[in-house]
Amino acid sequence: MSGRPEWIDRLRCLSHGAAVEDAGGWVEVRTTSDTMRELAITLVEAHGCEFATLVVEAADTATDGIAMRYFLYTRDDSTVIAIRIDLAEGLPLPSISDRVHAADWHEREAEDLFGIRFDGHPFLGDFVLHDAVWPEDVAPMRRSFDATKRVEQHGLGEAWTPRRILHQEGSIAFPVGPIWADYNEAGMWLLETPGEQIYESQTRLFYKYRAVEKIAEGQAPERGVLLAERFSGSSAFAHAYAYCQALEKIARCEVPPRARILRALFAELERIRYHAATIAELAGSTSLTVGKSMSQEIEERMLRLSGEVCGHRYLFGVCTPGGLASDPGAAALTTLQAGVADAAKEFARLERRFMHTSSYLDRIEEMGTLRPEVADLYGVVGPVARASGRQVDLRRSLPYGVYADHPPEIPREIEGDGYARLRVYFAEIRASTALIQALLAAVPGGPVRAECPVTPGTALAWTEAPAGGTFHWLRIDDAGHIGRWRIGPPGFRNWHAFHRALEGAAFQDFHIVLASFGLSVAESDR
Amino acid sequence: MNLISWAFLALAVALCASILLPSRSRSTGFLAGSWAAVVLVLIASVHSMASGPTQQATPGLLVILPGFGFALSPLRALFLIIAAGVYGVSSPFVLRDVRERSRPRGCLVLAMFVVLFAAVLTVLLAAGVASLLFAWEIMSLALAALVFLGRGEQVETRAGLLTLAFSEAGALAALAGLLVLAGAAGTFSLAGIAAAAPRLSGGIVWAGFLLTFFGFGVKTAIVPVNGWMADAYAAAPRGVLPLFSGATLNLGVFTLWVVDGPLASHALWPALAVLVVGALTALLGIMYAMTESNMTRLLTRSSIENLGIVVAALGAGFAFTAMQRPVLGGLALIAGLYHMLNHSAYKTLLFIGAGGIGNTVGHDDMNRLGGLLRHVPLFGTVFLFGCFAIASLPPFNGFVSEWLILQSLLRIVELGPVPVRIVFGLSGAALALTAGLAVTCFAMLAASTLLGLPRSREAAEARHMPASATAPMVVLIVVCFGLGLWATGVIPVLGRLAAPLTGVDATAYLVPAFFGHATVLAAGVVHDLTQLGAQLGRGLLPLRGLVILHSDAPRAGVVYAMSTALTFAVLACMLLVVWIVTRVLRRRRQVARRAPWNAGIPSLRPEMTYTPTTFGAPVRVLFDAVLNPEVARQEQRQGAFLTARKHQIVHIPLIDRLLLAPLIAGMRGVARLLARMHHGKVTAYASYVLASLVVVVLAAAIALS
Amino acid sequence: MANWTLASLLRGIRTTHWPYRDDVPPGALPARLDGLPHCGTDRAPTADRITWAFRTPNSQGPLPARFRHSMHVRFIDAGANGALISEVRLIDAPPYNLHRFGIFITATPRDADVLLVGGPVTEAMREPLRKAFDAMPTPKRVVAIGDDAIDGGIFGKSFASAGGVASVIPVDFIVPGCPPPPLAIIQGLLAAAGQVTLP
Repeated sequence: MSGRPEWIDRLRCLSHGAAVEDAGGWVEVRTTSDTMRELAITLVEAHGCEFATLVVEAADTATDGIAMRYFLYTRDDSTVIAIRIDLAEGLPLPSISDRVHAADWHEREAEDLFGIRFDGHPFLGDFVLHDAVWPEDVAPMRRSFDATKRVEQHGLGEAWTPRRILHQEGSIAFPVGPIWADYNEAGMWLLETPGEQIYESQTRLFYKYRAVEKIAEGQAPERGVLLAERFSGSSAFAHAYAYCQALEKIARCEVPPRARILRALFAELERIRYHAATIAELAGSTSLTVGKSMSQEIEERMLRLSGEVCGHRYLFGVCTPGGLASDPGAAALTTLQAGVADAAKEFARLERRFMHTSSYLDRIEEMGTLRPEVADLYGVVGPVARASGRQVDLRRSLPYGVYADHPPEIPREIEGDGYARLRVYFAEIRASTALIQALLAAVPGGPVRAECPVTPGTALAWTEAPAGGTFHWLRIDDAGHIGRWRIGPPGFRNWHAFHRALEGAAFQDFHIVLASFGLSVAESDR
Repeated sequence: MNLISWAFLALAVALCASILLPSRSRSTGFLAGSWAAVVLVLIASVHSMASGPTQQATPGLLVILPGFGFALSPLRALFLIIAAGVYGVSSPFVLRDVRERSRPRGCLVLAMFVVLFAAVLTVLLAAGVASLLFAWEIMSLALAALVFLGRGEQVETRAGLLTLAFSEAGALAALAGLLVLAGAAGTFSLAGIAAAAPRLSGGIVWAGFLLTFFGFGVKTAIVPVNGWMADAYAAAPRGVLPLFSGATLNLGVFTLWVVDGPLASHALWPALAVLVVGALTALLGIMYAMTESNMTRLLTRSSIENLGIVVAALGAGFAFTAMQRPVLGGLALIAGLYHMLNHSAYKTLLFIGAGGIGNTVGHDDMNRLGGLLRHVPLFGTVFLFGCFAIASLPPFNGFVSEWLILQSLLRIVELGPVPVRIVFGLSGAALALTAGLAVTCFAMLAASTLLGLPRSREAAEARHMPASATAPMVVLIVVCFGLGLWATGVIPVLGRLAAPLTGVDATAYLVPAFFGHATVLAAGVVHDLTQLGAQLGRGLLPLRGLVILHSDAPRAGVVYAMSTALTFAVLACMLLVVWIVTRVLRRRRQVARRAPWNAGIPSLRPEMTYTPTTFGAPVRVLFDAVLNPEVARQEQRQGAFLTARKHQIVHIPLIDRLLLAPLIAGMRGVARLLARMHHGKVTAYASYVLASLVVVVLAAAIALS
Repeated sequence: MANWTLASLLRGIRTTHWPYRDDVPPGALPARLDGLPHCGTDRAPTADRITWAFRTPNSQGPLPARFRHSMHVRFIDAGANGALISEVRLIDAPPYNLHRFGIFITATPRDADVLLVGGPVTEAMREPLRKAFDAMPTPKRVVAIGDDAIDGGIFGKSFASAGGVASVIPVDFIVPGCPPPPLAIIQGLLAAAGQVTLP
């Protein structure tokens, strides 16, 4: 965190004398709703800051209102900045998402869950809480809301109609989902088309809203680990890792070196497996069945390897506050080394085959293109961003764990189409394999777990999950329970931009674009 | 001929009734007069077809004009029967259409409708150049008047003027052409010109042919003179469209037959021009039909397509005749006439149906229709069958004529020089593509109006269709079905009509007397076809046979055989079997009815279901290079948000783009140049007059010397 | 041009022989089951690899015998996590190959004999799930997979979660696990088809 003093000075200058302080993990600017918008826009547009996440906290009593933090970070000098506003109950806030578009879905979510009004946002409502299901005035994240009971009233039901963006004579809003195709996750995509070409589309998620952030409140921090693993599942380790880091930051406990290395090993193992599944789906979406089967075979191999090494195919129950739940032992690490090396050869063979299948490349080249400027506007993260020319990776921008000493290689492509994404997936598998091999050579001895007592406090932690950077904001209250837990998953960022990749795509390419994004709905919906 | 005169008198009664009587007795008077006229015309025509020879008549008062004669021949009788039939079935619907309008305007529509029919009859009876053009002019004016009168209370100026401009330009060209021909032939009678056709020089033939073909072709809507049609039909009252499409379009075919037929039957290249223009008209017609979401405009474009097919068939017939293959020529001509007959039947049905829908729902936009079959099952079923017929599905009539036309074009493989073969081949391919697109187009029409969810409140509330629409449609679908099923009975009648032009009656080759003794065919062929069921019903049915056989001559090795009757029998048997099987299965099992599966969305909204625009998109994309749609895009943004995206797509027809637009631009240029001379100085105008006088005087002096 | 077919033929069969032979490769089942808190369900699968699936108390039992070797399954995600989705996607992948049992995945509940449901049933998926169940022809069975689908698991019963499939539609078989591995899911389906008998 080298540039922090400079940033404190710069922020003082930019915010015209607002209170700027070093809040431990980040630089916090306390400002008012009048100046917040200008400051956020300046930071993002003129100073190259990335929007990280929006944390809204409802105060304990109604009079205290709401505390909001817009988290941003700088890519070059690893500084996290929070713009903080204390909002009195019932007052509106200016929307920043017409300029800082990455905040769009965050604002819509805050409007739905907290009932905060954002002035100047054209599409509020019907987001997390679907109008068809929920009544208008429910704000479940408020303290006064009883999360254990079903809401009595109902929403619009059958009277719900989709919003239309495309106005063309005879065009339709073709619904895909929520129950659709063979094994797809629940979600709805409204494809607006006059036939053949999709001109506009809307991604309507949160069919899988399980209110993880709400039900975690008041629970013991250990139970949070279970939730962190289980809300996403496919990138369980990354979220458990981020959550544990937050707890460790609050308690200021040091993770033993062996555990630090092993955590990175497992995170990269998860990344390889996650990308293998995406590659399989992408092959399947173009009806390249043999390619899909072969990819699935490697995916299954990685799952079994995880099962053998850690006892769980999806690495549940491995990460724990203070380190790891148990030491896998030297034999398991040998298995891991052999297994990863073996899989690397298989991946190389598979990649060669894909790159020589012109019929396959024809389907994914110049398809689902997310242009670099659009990717920047939406602030997309992870492999999708890196395929659209964005150099974003939290392992490099905000290094955590052992990544400061072992920076991974970050692949980057600029075309932003399905083919670029496929190349990024394979390149990331190669980079992760290399990192695993390097880390395995450097695994020290010693314990894998340190004591980590529950301490009250707040922290922001992050990891680079397979689908992109994820931020976890955690507040432990004085009773030692979770007071507020905010998860900023990568899917929430990338689904936001998904509709731009569909623009102009042919109707039947929808599946391919979807598969090439490699996103999990469960992770985004929480 | 006397009966026909009485028919005109009956029409005069109908005309007076529609103008003078109060509204209730107006209907009675109009219908009585109209139907009396129709019955009289039908009796006279059937009698003429049965008895054969041509009857001549010249009205005494107008005998001073050369070529002001009238005649009734079997061919004219066929056209008369079609026109009278269409008029008869559509007149109740016109009354229904007119009832809701203000009185003077409604009366005018009714009156013009009667005048239009009278003019159509007169054109079909005209035997001389003057009488033909006289009747043609009245018909054009009546048609334009109906377009001007429009659907609402506003005068449709643009569409009306467009119609008038095209009609008058066409009539002028036709007049010029007829005068050229009459002058060269030395007679003003059409029969005389026809008789003189073989003797005329090439230049005269080409000039006369081109002027009359494209001049009269304005009414047949051939390319490039059909730019007026879609607009005019979309503007005209819905009730008169059946007559427009079922009768006035045929007038172009009639003149093509009586004026250009004799010319082209002796000159190959004009005949090929007819074929190519017809095929192009058909293909462009159906292509543009796919771009329409307005029901009337779609049906109009489809009329253009069908008339294109008829013209192409006649062109092929003339070409075969010119190549000294009268039998093949006869086949193509029969097929062409057959298709015209069919088109009149099903298009009248569809226009009445579309009019019924339009009057009930209040608009013609298929994007805002749907789901009618559920509420008006009888009407919907008949309309659906009409779509089957026009999409050429067996056992309906469209199938027979399109099959015959395509087969007759294929026969060119047996003869002809290479360039002729290429022309035939390409035209045949264009017509085959047309037939395929027609299926898509009418699947689109039927599905978007009858099936699915209603896409507007008006469509959802449509509970009844007027009986004045449903009843004629039932009659017409029976006619369509009959024309399809009893093809072997219709073909001999048409064969006799085509014989005077080709010199040979092709009936014996097309429908051999299977029920009697088939003489033109080799014994082996007869045996094979008998095995297939060609002689089923022998002794029971008053026909020549059940199988239509398309063969060139006795020596032909290749024989194409088809039977709609047998196809229908098989289809009916299959349906029966399916029905029985489902009955049996249902008895054994419980049938549960559930709401359609909609993937779990709250409810399937109409805006989520397919519209004709989305349905037709894959086909339209294929022809983007030809259609060249102009898209006006407009986006509404709020910062990084796109809040609305508006697309407006305009299809300007190819002909308008390539021919009319430059023509209009050129005329404007000339007008602008002329306008420069008019700058308001009196002295300058005086000098123009002086200069003109000097030029005229000099010219006269030179001519006299 | 890569010759996929040839390459796959050369690789040979990669499918496990289970359940015909005791062929469970290492890692195919999570080994450290006892070390994991199982999200509150008391019916944690045993590590002896014998029984994963259970019948519910009011189960209708397996489908009639004519479905034994031809059964169609519709999977419904009612809030399942990504790991479960991933395991379900693997049941007809080459390592497990569901098709060899005559069980097929279908895209519409209209053709389905069995509904395979994962997730605690979120508020937004309640109605779609019920609609899908109603749309199925009879006879039909429901197999709930994963701890969430049995009793809500870690998500429990809340304003957003119905706390298990059984609170929305009747369930016939349950497959515990967080997530249940492909072999367990297959066992649940085999039980619904009547190919294996459960205690």
